[in-house]
Amino acid sequence: MFNYIKNLSCELNRNIVKFGFVSILMLFSGMVNAADDDSKAGNSTRGAKQWADNCSRCHNMRDPKEFRDDTWRNIIAHMRVRAGLHGQQARDILAFLQSSNFIAVVNDSNLMKVANADGADGESTYKQTCIACHGANGEGAIPGVPKLSERLSKSEATLLSNIKNGFQSEGSTMAMPAKGGNPSLSDADIKEVLIYLQKKFK
Amino acid sequence: MNFLHQKVLIISLILLGFSNVSLADNNADALNARIEALEKQLNEVKTLLKQQVQQSATKVEVQAVKKEVEVAKAEQAEWKSYDSGVHLAGYGAVNFSAEDDRFNKALFAPIFHYQFKDSFLLEAELEINVQDDGSTEIAMEYLTVDWFMNDYMALIAGKFLSPVGQFRQNLHPTWINKMVNAPVGFGHDQASPIAELGLQLRGGFPVGETMNANYAFYVSNGPILELNGAGDEIEAVEYNASTGDVDDNKTFGGRVALTPLANTEIGFSGAFGDIAIPGEADRDYDVIGVDFFTRWKNIDLRGEYVRQQVDALATSAAPDSQEWEAFYTQLSYKLLPTKFEAVARYGDYNSNHADQEQEQWALGLNYLFAPNAMAKLTYEFNDGLVGTATDQDQLLVQLTYGF
Repeated sequence: MFNYIKNLSCELNRNIVKFGFVSILMLFSGMVNAADDDSKAGNSTRGAKQWADNCSRCHNMRDPKEFRDDTWRNIIAHMRVRAGLHGQQARDILAFLQSSNFIAVVNDSNLMKVANADGADGESTYKQTCIACHGANGEGAIPGVPKLSERLSKSEATLLSNIKNGFQSEGSTMAMPAKGGNPSLSDADIKEVLIYLQKKFK
Repeated sequence: MNFLHQKVLIISLILLGFSNVSLADNNADALNARIEALEKQLNEVKTLLKQQVQQSATKVEVQAVKKEVEVAKAEQAEWKSYDSGVHLAGYGAVNFSAEDDRFNKALFAPIFHYQFKDSFLLEAELEINVQDDGSTEIAMEYLTVDWFMNDYMALIAGKFLSPVGQFRQNLHPTWINKMVNAPVGFGHDQASPIAELGLQLRGGFPVGETMNANYAFYVSNGPILELNGAGDEIEAVEYNASTGDVDDNKTFGGRVALTPLANTEIGFSGAFGDIAIPGEADRDYDVIGVDFFTRWKNIDLRGEYVRQQVDALATSAAPDSQEWEAFYTQLSYKLLPTKFEAVARYGDYNSNHADQEQEQWALGLNYLFAPNAMAKLTYEFNDGLVGTATDQDQLLVQLTYGF
């Protein structure tokens, strides 16, 4: 019986490999010209999620600030091969890393002056930019990301500054990138998302 | 006009004259005060203006700054947009064995990346190891030219790490492996294929809205058989990814994996082909493997199974079939908010050769200076052939850094 199962598994194994080759050749013939398309530009918001979902399958998360833009480009080309990422995933992750390694210009006083913020738009910002690492429940989607409920007791000025400039939590293996890796966030967006966090998780 | 009227007029004029003199005096004082205030303000404005002139840039200076900004922008663009890029990665490690009471490993493994646009990537890893006699051994771990044909496929040519399973192709670098040693059966010339020389197609594609799949299929020269000292038994399957092809037949293999959830992956892999001892007829050779990874909060759980089999050949000097089988399961837990990580791994390696078989429990405690730099403390409880190294428990320490 055991030998029968072994022989069956070997035969199955051969057929899977053969099927794979044929399938891949078909993919090749159908997709070889499908790469050039401007609409496929990297998206840092999607990239944040892809980065959180894929990179730590094999290794600890590396800090986006560890490398320059050009270096990340080479690294992601290498990782596309290693991790079996498709092109869009690779471009999105690269966009996230390149937008997360900048040092924000510190001008926190303006943050406090943002008027009329009520948190209504904060939810969408959170779901687009923050959720990849902090999770839907605010308890952290990847190891080392602290629970938001434990951090929101700090002063508003400190929290706004941390969001805008990035922050290294004690004990965490990596720092949160400035603006969560989304440089397009305005001061108003940051204020909105903080109000949302305080309403949702505090 | 009568006399009385004239008197009144004269007296009025006199009084008016007096009052005008008094009014003129008051106006002059006010005017003087105002002039003084204006002078003071003027001086302040002059001072401010002087400061501003000192602080403000001339038109020439503004032009110079604008030019500097343009140059900086162009330089910045250079880093973002270029045709050929070079990157050096890799890792190094130093080991200490408490049982042997010696430093028993010094490894440097540089990885070179040369990229042309988004089309080609040359990857090469060297493994440079210090030997017991003090000499240095240099080996080519892999060397591939990768052509990104489209979003879903890359053609890999050269010597590549075997895509059978996960440990050999992705987890063996010291800064990634959470234990000091490889799991039993997943080392060189054991149950798991190491490297191949040939062509590989690999990539990934989305499956529905939330899932992704990745694949790797290859054709290679394949491994060769290694005989025991007496020459009458097959000792191991050697994956030295040589340019020779003893059996003159290609080996085919690959792996397909699915990521159904975030940070979860399950993969199925295998290889088949012919294999031979030089000068003898070919015989069948098969490998199958399954691997998985998942995470829950701070806990990582992964495992891998691989079985490798060589068929019998009655006409051979080593006629018996051989089989090698290994699996491991590893659980690691990050002790947040500290930088410690606890690891436990169970592994079992089965072979037809008693001196190869080994069962192992390993416990580890790692300290992460950074995500890519760590100190590892591993204790291995080994159960193998009594009196051999496979049966010796050992305490190992490693300092490793990936760059």
